[in-house]
Amino acid sequence: MAKSTTPFESDAAFEARLRRRIQKLILFSTAALIAILFGFPMYFMAVSAFKAEAEILSTPFNWLPQEFVGLQHFEGAFERAPIGQWYVNSVFIAAVQVAVGIFFGAMAGYGFAKFQFSGKRILFALILSIMAVPFQILLIPLYVEIRHFGWHNTYAGLIVPGMLSAFAIFLMRQFALSIPDELLDSARIDGASEFRIFISIALPLLAPASASLAIILFLASWNNFLWPLVVAQDRNLWTLPVGMTVFSQPYRGEPSIGPSMAVSTLATLPVALLFLFFQRYFIEGMMVSGIKG
Amino acid sequence: MFSLYRRAWSEKNVIARRQYWGLIFVLPCVIFFAVFFLYPLVTGFYLSLTKYTLLRPPVFIGFDNYVNLFNDRLFLKAINVTLGFVVGSTAPTVVLSLFVALLFYQKFPGREGLKLIFFSPLLPSVAVVSVIWVVLLHPSGILTNIVRPLTGKAEITWVHDLTLSPVVIVLARIWSAMPFYMLIWLAGLTAIPQELRDAARVDGANRIQSFWSVELPLLRPTAVFVMAVSTISAFQGFALQFVISPNQGGPVDVNTTLGILIWKYGFQFFRMGDAAAVSVFLFACIMIVTGTQIAWGRSDRYSIN
Repeated sequence: MAKSTTPFESDAAFEARLRRRIQKLILFSTAALIAILFGFPMYFMAVSAFKAEAEILSTPFNWLPQEFVGLQHFEGAFERAPIGQWYVNSVFIAAVQVAVGIFFGAMAGYGFAKFQFSGKRILFALILSIMAVPFQILLIPLYVEIRHFGWHNTYAGLIVPGMLSAFAIFLMRQFALSIPDELLDSARIDGASEFRIFISIALPLLAPASASLAIILFLASWNNFLWPLVVAQDRNLWTLPVGMTVFSQPYRGEPSIGPSMAVSTLATLPVALLFLFFQRYFIEGMMVSGIKG
Repeated sequence: MFSLYRRAWSEKNVIARRQYWGLIFVLPCVIFFAVFFLYPLVTGFYLSLTKYTLLRPPVFIGFDNYVNLFNDRLFLKAINVTLGFVVGSTAPTVVLSLFVALLFYQKFPGREGLKLIFFSPLLPSVAVVSVIWVVLLHPSGILTNIVRPLTGKAEITWVHDLTLSPVVIVLARIWSAMPFYMLIWLAGLTAIPQELRDAARVDGANRIQSFWSVELPLLRPTAVFVMAVSTISAFQGFALQFVISPNQGGPVDVNTTLGILIWKYGFQFFRMGDAAAVSVFLFACIMIVTGTQIAWGRSDRYSIN
């Protein structure tokens, strides 16, 4: 048969293309179904924050509020609880823990990576082993210790025990290993002190590498529930996760569902923004740390 | 000649002395962990051997707390609850997240967008997850309506039901944990060189055969990691049970995990000694899992390198 000059493809090629199309369609629909299943609760949270109370649980589910209530639930939530104070507490605690964690993590990581001193291996092994011990084991004795310090029910008690992380040291050491020795030596020849070299050469080199570490430390602090729950008795010292307990039985009286969803949305917003703008670091950070879940 | 030797010696000395700066750099962290990790770890073991109510100094009583625990109905129940939560949530999470990772490993239009939506449970903290699920589990709420064609009931008290409430907490846990483990599986899949799959294809293996005999064995380190991490974190189950279930671990303690029990003994009953003993027991359980992970993960029979 003469070579076809028509623009039509052969039956076999058409069939193969059709089969591929159907395959992609099946893949897409399965993925879409799963995505909706997993995305729905988050969507439900956000949209319920703007629906009238009676509409939130209506059947069938309204994908968009029929009656948009504006910020009414947010105002309602702020009236019922010192949410502004909790927000400030959460932000303040996270900011201090991230900044201190990065600085001292970098310092120790740099020390472990670039110097040879006796006892180095055993100290590093000990610090690595910290990561294998879950926090719940320390809860009781740490609480007893904090009480002895008189830090119970204070910002110091909330912040200090979670200020440094073994994981930060581990990660910073990995980064510091790649700092060229020549760079440090040339600074030494110029007469810079070791501390000066750390501050003006090592730290600036380590800072950009620690974007994902900063996100991990932020999430660990922002989401922490157990420690602030036991340390902060005073309501004004609570953080957002602890404050959520006030909104946890919304249908057994006050506060009602709308405000609960408004507070949930507010508490999730910073993390959602981090995720949107720093997606790569966010995911990288989660993967290397193995936190969450 | 002699002065040259002396200079070399003193230079060596300078370099040797400089190394002590390393110790100075790590010292703040070492002191911190001595105070806020090692000390509480050791006192935790000691407290588990004492009777301590915070009001009076701890009194050493030997292993009495441990003996009492194993006669304690609540503790034995908490072990069951924890094991139920671990098994019930880990197995589905591990398997389903692998399935989703395999799905998103394929190429199809709209993949990246759908993946982002799937990742959305990564965002809320466990406390927020709990509150969202409390609302989803409203007696006449969404979940009730979804299963209504099957049950015919207009109202289901999910969280107050003795059998249902552990199940729905497992459900919330699977929802919130799966995206993370899917990420890990996906990274494992991506690390498998394409040539290996192609080679299997050339040898006449179909997709399923190639998955079972090429990819799955290579995913072994990932599998060990995923199983260990999800088991360890489920053993520490606390916040979901604390917030979702009525009366922190209820109804009738069907959701009182070991984690909740530590909190109850410590901060409701102020029995610090008992709470510390439960902590030590939980620590032992988790160390067994960690040890198993290390033992399994070490075999490099299947590793790519």
